[in-house]
Amino acid sequence: MSVFDGLKYRKVSSPIHDLDPRIKFFYVCAIFVGAILFWTILPLLILFAIQIPFVLLAGVKREWLRSLRGTIFLAAIIFLTNLIVRYFASGGALLVTDLEFAAAMTLRFIVLVGSFSVFFLTTSPDHLGLALERTRMPYEFSFAFTTAVRFVPVLAEEAQTIMDAQKARGLELEKGNFLKRIRNYIPVLVPLIVSAIRRSLELAEAMESRAWGATKKRTNLYILRLKQGDFILFVITIVILMVTVYVRIYIDVPGLSQFLSGVS
Amino acid sequence: MVIIETKNLSYTYPGGTKPSLNDVSIKIKAGEFALITGSSGSRKTTICRCFNGLIPHFYKGELEGEIRVADKDTTKHPTFEMAKEVGLVFQNPENQLFALSIEKDVAFGLENLGVPREKMRQRVDWALKLAGIYDLRERSPHEISGGQQQRVAIAAVLAMQPKIIVLDEPTSFLDPLSAKKIFEVIHDLNRKLGITVVLVEHRLDLTAKYADHIIIMDKGRVCQDGNPRTILGAESTRLIGVGIPKATLLFQMLAKDGLKLGSVVPLSSDEIAQSLLEAIKPHD
Repeated sequence: MSVFDGLKYRKVSSPIHDLDPRIKFFYVCAIFVGAILFWTILPLLILFAIQIPFVLLAGVKREWLRSLRGTIFLAAIIFLTNLIVRYFASGGALLVTDLEFAAAMTLRFIVLVGSFSVFFLTTSPDHLGLALERTRMPYEFSFAFTTAVRFVPVLAEEAQTIMDAQKARGLELEKGNFLKRIRNYIPVLVPLIVSAIRRSLELAEAMESRAWGATKKRTNLYILRLKQGDFILFVITIVILMVTVYVRIYIDVPGLSQFLSGVS
Repeated sequence: MVIIETKNLSYTYPGGTKPSLNDVSIKIKAGEFALITGSSGSRKTTICRCFNGLIPHFYKGELEGEIRVADKDTTKHPTFEMAKEVGLVFQNPENQLFALSIEKDVAFGLENLGVPREKMRQRVDWALKLAGIYDLRERSPHEISGGQQQRVAIAAVLAMQPKIIVLDEPTSFLDPLSAKKIFEVIHDLNRKLGITVVLVEHRLDLTAKYADHIIIMDKGRVCQDGNPRTILGAESTRLIGVGIPKATLLFQMLAKDGLKLGSVVPLSSDEIAQSLLEAIKPHD
């Protein structure tokens, strides 16, 4: 799935990767709020543009674009739905503003996906787990999260092995109608689940043997420390938030067509 | 000093009809390199689980008899307390690493024990260097080979500085060369740090020469217990279905055909090579 490719973290070092996940999450939330606050194209375009230097600085341009490309299908659905609803709501007439509105809604979606994609592309799951721990969430949760991430490639590999083994015994996965195809996957899923359960038992055993639950006051090898870059991003985020809220409340943002006619 | 001692230990898994361990009485001395072997289903893994209290705390079931490890009754101390004394390394390297980086994994036990960060850093680096994987410390577990993963698992228990390391067939998922390296690491730990090693293994060709003590199990009972040279050299051992080292086999065959190669039973190829060299050396 190309959408999920755009969320996959790769270990590289960049100023953005080194940022504190909490501040980065705050930034994503600010963009999120900004995107929700506006209904018109112009501010959404600006919000979209803000992310570009971020992406370039992190050096994840290719992955980011791929995740955006992955949204094309959903974006098209959003665009069409909005257009159709507007069309019927206005009684069969389609105005330029309706087109603009549909485009704005689509852009809003792209901005949201884009900002989340940057976050996940540049934040290591380890840091994310650490940030979760910091939020006073019980350690078990953040442990479950990082362990799940750790075992994704292992389970994917196992699924592939099982699929190959079942195909070698004559299982045809790509055959039949939609329902039949889903049913075809049962002989893959059952061994996969059984082995995952067995694996979890072994994991539990290994955890017990390494003093799991020995003390309530657990320590951690890594710590999150706020650095200069984090403060800069924090300030940028606050500015973005203030500007968006101010503009939303005090300025009547023109639509794209109005804006263009005003310019010419 | 005896560090692991069981007396008439019997154990039945929950729901089991027959006991898995039957009247097991063994003694392992501190600083020893003990080798436990036996055919599949001889319950070698079960006895390993007893050593750090996984049995009876994690597996429940019925445990009878006495067991003392590092002066503690494992039935009275929870596994996390025993973990400070006994490090357990499992068969499948993949299922004992949970973190996203090697060093974080090695730190896992120490984090659980609440060791302060600076001290933890030191001990993690120390363990990584001993296992020879210091350069891999920032990698993720799925990026490294099985042999390297198993060394991470060893480093992870090592970081907790246990008195005893129990390894349950640590090389069954590995190729012979990686296996050999693992055994060398284990041997080093035993020799240089004086850690008591209990190794469960089939590959006696590679391990018998390191062992001070060998225990052969069969169907949940101990059937041979003692010095590796006497036990592996004995005719009866071959009949149990234990993989006697090839060097020892050759020695036995030659002895049967009337060629006695010295008085010491060889356990590895270099040992038999030594006695062969001595035998063909012209006497004057």
